[in-house]
Amino acid sequence: MTCIKMWDDNWSWTPLGHGVCVSLKHIRNASVICDDFAPPVIDIKFTQNSPAAHQLLVKEHKVRVEKTASRPLDRTLFVLNIPPYCTEDVLNRLFVQFGPIESVELKDKPSNPEPAEPKLSKHFTPKQKQGFSVGYIVYTKPSGVTAAKAHPQNVPLIVSTEEHPVKTGLQKWIHQYSRSLVPPDVLQQAVDSFMNDYDQRKEEEAERKKKEAEEQEEDEEGWVKVTKGAKGAKARPHSEAADKKALEKEGKKTKRKELVNFYSWQHRQSQREHIAELRKKFEEDKQKIALLRAQRKFRPY
Amino acid sequence: MKRKAAETPADGDKEMQSTESKHSQDEGERPTKELKSDSKKSSNAGLVRPLKVSNKELYKAPTPEELNQLKETESLFHCSLLKMQMEELLKEVVISEKKKRLVDSFVLKITELLHSVPETPVVELSDTTWLSKAEVPFILMPKSAKGKFHMEPPASVALIGSYPLGTCTKPRVSVDLMVTIPANVIHPMDAINQRYSRKRALYLAGLAEHLLSSKEVGTMQYSCLHGNRLRPVLLLTPPGKDGGSLTLRIHACPPPDFLKPGQLHPQKNKIRTDWFTGIDAPQPGGPDAPTPHYNSTVLGDHLPGAHLQFLCAVRDQCGAFKDTVALLKVWLRQRELDQGSGCFGGFVASMLVAYLLTSHKVSNHMSAYQLFRNALHFLASTDLTENGITLARNPDSTAPSLSDFHSAFQVVFVDPSGHLNLCADMTAHTYKQIQHEASLSVQFWDDPTMDGFQALLMSPKPLIRTYDHVFQLCGLSKLQSACKKLNLFSELMDHSGNYIITALPLLLSLLQRGLGERIHLLVHSLPPSPEWPVTSEPLKHKEQPPLSFGLLLNPEHLASALEKGPPADSPKAAEFRQLWGERAELRRFQDGSITEAVLWEASTACLKRLVPQQIINHLLQLHADIPPSCVRYVGGLLDNVIIVREESCGTGEEESLKVVQCYDDLSRKLWQLEDLPLSITSVQGAHPALRYTQVLPPVPFKLSYKQFDREKRSRALLPQDGNPCPVYITPIKVICHMEGSGKWPHDALAIRHIKAAFHIRLAEILKNTHNYPCHPSATHLDVWKDGLAFRIQVAYHREPQVLRELLSPDGMLLMRDNLQAQALEMDTQHRTLLTSTLHGLQQQHPCFGAVCRLAKRWLGAQLFGADLCEDAADLLVAHLFLHPAPNTAPSSPQVGFLRFLHLLSSFDWRNSPLVVNLNSQLTVADYTDIKNGFAASRESLPTMFIATPTDRKQSIWTRDAPSVQMLQRMVTVAAESLHVLEAQLTDATHTQDVRVAFRPPLDVYDVLIYLRPKQVPLVGSAVDPPSHEPSRGAQEGAIPGGVLPVIDFNPVSLYLTELREAFGDMALFFHDPYGGTVIAVLWKPNTFPPLRFKTGTMAARRVEVCEDKVSTVPNVEAILHDFSVLGEGLVERVVPRTEKWVV
Repeated sequence: MTCIKMWDDNWSWTPLGHGVCVSLKHIRNASVICDDFAPPVIDIKFTQNSPAAHQLLVKEHKVRVEKTASRPLDRTLFVLNIPPYCTEDVLNRLFVQFGPIESVELKDKPSNPEPAEPKLSKHFTPKQKQGFSVGYIVYTKPSGVTAAKAHPQNVPLIVSTEEHPVKTGLQKWIHQYSRSLVPPDVLQQAVDSFMNDYDQRKEEEAERKKKEAEEQEEDEEGWVKVTKGAKGAKARPHSEAADKKALEKEGKKTKRKELVNFYSWQHRQSQREHIAELRKKFEEDKQKIALLRAQRKFRPY
Repeated sequence: MKRKAAETPADGDKEMQSTESKHSQDEGERPTKELKSDSKKSSNAGLVRPLKVSNKELYKAPTPEELNQLKETESLFHCSLLKMQMEELLKEVVISEKKKRLVDSFVLKITELLHSVPETPVVELSDTTWLSKAEVPFILMPKSAKGKFHMEPPASVALIGSYPLGTCTKPRVSVDLMVTIPANVIHPMDAINQRYSRKRALYLAGLAEHLLSSKEVGTMQYSCLHGNRLRPVLLLTPPGKDGGSLTLRIHACPPPDFLKPGQLHPQKNKIRTDWFTGIDAPQPGGPDAPTPHYNSTVLGDHLPGAHLQFLCAVRDQCGAFKDTVALLKVWLRQRELDQGSGCFGGFVASMLVAYLLTSHKVSNHMSAYQLFRNALHFLASTDLTENGITLARNPDSTAPSLSDFHSAFQVVFVDPSGHLNLCADMTAHTYKQIQHEASLSVQFWDDPTMDGFQALLMSPKPLIRTYDHVFQLCGLSKLQSACKKLNLFSELMDHSGNYIITALPLLLSLLQRGLGERIHLLVHSLPPSPEWPVTSEPLKHKEQPPLSFGLLLNPEHLASALEKGPPADSPKAAEFRQLWGERAELRRFQDGSITEAVLWEASTACLKRLVPQQIINHLLQLHADIPPSCVRYVGGLLDNVIIVREESCGTGEEESLKVVQCYDDLSRKLWQLEDLPLSITSVQGAHPALRYTQVLPPVPFKLSYKQFDREKRSRALLPQDGNPCPVYITPIKVICHMEGSGKWPHDALAIRHIKAAFHIRLAEILKNTHNYPCHPSATHLDVWKDGLAFRIQVAYHREPQVLRELLSPDGMLLMRDNLQAQALEMDTQHRTLLTSTLHGLQQQHPCFGAVCRLAKRWLGAQLFGADLCEDAADLLVAHLFLHPAPNTAPSSPQVGFLRFLHLLSSFDWRNSPLVVNLNSQLTVADYTDIKNGFAASRESLPTMFIATPTDRKQSIWTRDAPSVQMLQRMVTVAAESLHVLEAQLTDATHTQDVRVAFRPPLDVYDVLIYLRPKQVPLVGSAVDPPSHEPSRGAQEGAIPGGVLPVIDFNPVSLYLTELREAFGDMALFFHDPYGGTVIAVLWKPNTFPPLRFKTGTMAARRVEVCEDKVSTVPNVEAILHDFSVLGEGLVERVVPRTEKWVV
């Protein structure tokens, strides 16, 4: 998967209409000035009484390269530094105060929305990492984004409230454990549906291959239709390993044909090699000894 | 936010720093040098790199000399390395010219001083009033003595011993100076009743008195030659700073022709019983018994000059003589054989080489290397206790014959004069030890895969780390009564009242008889030569340090608690009964025989290993009146750290065996399953419990359902909120390989689903046929069987390959390694293989498992559990058993554990790979291969590199951890633990707590998270368990069927995972997985400096705007609060130790 860089290394908070850039120097200055502006920060606390708060950083979603339907640029709020106990539901609850929300997406780190793959049942998706994450909140209207950005820092968002307690620690683990006891029939269903799907895909592919093969065959008049063909569909399935093996075989063959110690120069050569080998070993050993001596490894006690 | 300046080294790593600070607290000045060299600056200095020699150099025409040299090294040594190593070693021990000058000048001064000793008037021998300051270095028992004495300047002063011979070595250079007592001070009849010896001692005291007033002497002490109290010597050191490195020993000797050697024949008596006892009436037993040891002591004083002459002649003949003796001395010293009473010292070693040369067993032209090897070979193959050797060419007619010597002494090696036995004081057991060591050494030498140099000459072999069990005899005065009980009066007289040396041979043979086949070897420490200042009286015998004995156990015969004797009617039965006393009883055996037998109480393997203790206590009490309170047995002191249940006193072997049996049963049942779409091709264990190395082996449990919630559909148990955390049930992992078939899909996701389908199917069948509660999931299947939980994982052997396959854009099938495939391979292939291999090792070495468990317990307790995985730790221990050089494979957990610590702390992890030759699959060529591969790519390989036959290039078990810093810390802590433990185990004065080595120092960490013991399921097995343990809803025992219990639910490990996932970038988390109630947190060094604002590095940090820059720093208050939020219910309190860092 190619990862497209979405953000500049330093997140530039360019205010609109601030200064007119005339010369290169000015532009450089401008970018320095930009850093003056603190990113919009929203404090987030676990409970009302928590002694300390984490800082959420919010900003409208901006990408230079790619636009996707799932994250429309004007309506998506990008949130950084979301603590591990904030699930998508919690985030939804906290940010709905700025406007109605279309979707919430949590990610380990800023990344592209993933292409839709065959939907896996939740029993087979690998466990998500529970660290600090980034979020993409899509509002139904662009006003939600501005409202969120305008939220004052000193009014913290509260994760766990009386009405909506968030389970952490022991309670959460007990909950997790009981969730992990999936009844076998539910699991079986998930397996069956996936395998049916898989078989279908396989069949389709086989069908397609068959068709291609048919097209490659001669017709009654002996003509073959020449096509570009699908990528990767070669007559002979080849792999790196097979290539290597073939090369090796070739090498062995030539080696077998060689005569050893047949000519006198060969004999001389092998003797020379032997002495060189001994010398090399000697030099290596000398080096090792020098090293050990430096480390005082010869003091017996 | 800043670290306090004092704590922040300019470029140092945090861990590094903490290692060193810990160091200086713990042990002051000890080995910090090596650690420092590892800091970044010099990180490349001490590394072996592949060598580049130009082709021109390699292929130039050789000179004949070079050719010879190369050929010699090729044929004589495994490689030139050994030869060079020996040369380097010799350079280290040889005395420098500067030192020689110092010696010569000091000797000159002292000689002058000695010649100026003033004469004193003649006094009675028993009158010592003429000495004002110096005391007489002699235990005057009995007090009365006839004869006269006066001081006179010595007849001559001459150098003798190793210094003039040129075989004197560092360290502790001691130079012998012989002072000849003038002939008119002594009388030819003085040989009788210690008169000569007393005069000799008085003469020394007179010299000491004279030297006391001199400024040329630094310190002055008495000692005695090889622990023989009849031969005191005077130790002098030069004044000033040279004092520590040089000792001058002054021997007083009679003129060489003072007594006729024939008079001192070993069968003659020179100490009269009536004098010794003070009773006039002669003993009824006829003439007085011979006093061979006394005689040889007196005779020994006559011969030093002659011996030196003889050895010098030999030395001049053979060029390599000096080097050979030096090597032998190093070898003996490493084995603690060169000091004390009955030692095999440098002098005997020189005589041995001389014997080999003069008897033409070796040639004068051999190199030191060859001579040394031949000497070891000779020692290994010749039994001097049976067939003594003699250096005398044509002894005169009065000289005793070899059989005379054999009847008087245990070990016989006769000097060139033919009258003196050089090994008179040596016990047969010491010689057996030498033989054992020599044959081991020869064996190591012959093994080309081994670093013989290291094993033979560089590794010290202290008693405690060499022998499986060690015991000490405290309260040596008890030996006095032992001599009486054993009826050793004449021997006591022969040894002039030294009851320790008198009783020792008999005790040894007694124990040898009793221990019989249970041991390979019984050795004892040599009673050291005491040293005391000249102004105080000599030490009493009982004031000597305790005697230590070492046992090398024979694991084959260790397992039986029964000692089967001869049949009741055989004549040997009486002997057997005499040996065992009341413990011997008649027993009838299953084969119908009725024999004498002794049964020891031992129900578990742990207690069976300690049967020798019972035997020793019993025999010593019965035959020598030595009560068990005087025997400090060090063999199982460490066992209680790994004891599974207090009441049964077993160290887990029995529990592990039960687990393995249960697993075998399960595996058989799996094999027999029918109705599976594909057949099972193999069932393999992949869990430490299945190779006997699990620290806390799973114990069958029976659950009380009241303390649990229930899952609604399956009625499986669930942990209940508010109750203590339920008992931890270890899932024992079993890999079940399914047959390869075309039916398997060629797609990673599909394979995963098929495996899940198999889990479901297996669960169904197991439930139906055997009524085991099962729970299938996508990744595994949990089976509850006889109170144990097994986690079966179905595997398909081609899956890793499928995971690695990648289709390039042009249709080429590529193989690319990835983490997922590696992890799967690790689980299904490497770990199963390792488990079965180590299971095999356990069958060969019954204490392998126990050593592993001690080692892992230690690693866990010192908070290294996350840095050295269990498999790697097991491999390290396997190395001890497969490559035990310079020792033999350990047969007790204690010695194995000590050697583990020694290996961890002394191995050169930086420059060498640790090769564990499992099943001896690696050949010499493979070894070289591994070493070359290692040297070629050292930088990219793991810090701790362990190679096995199936993993030669990668070291898979240590690929991710430990890091350089953690390994360094591990090395330091291991060295410290070893130091503490050895000190405790060898210190007889008081019993101490060996658990000290299992309590980690917590002061180096930045934050401590204390956990509520109630919610830590394994707290009952902690190193220091709490006094009260709440009920966790389970008791031991097993009932078939029932419902699925709570398996693998450990809040602590879940908490640690969350912590590491959230804060792993900024801190390290340490915890003892075996019941620890503290999580220690260490900030990473790069956490605190402010970073420029980036989206990628924002986690748990806060924004700080300073001047015109936006930077981020860790939000420490919030993080600390998160520690308690994430561990809600489990965390008791979070203690930031802000004395180390400031917010």
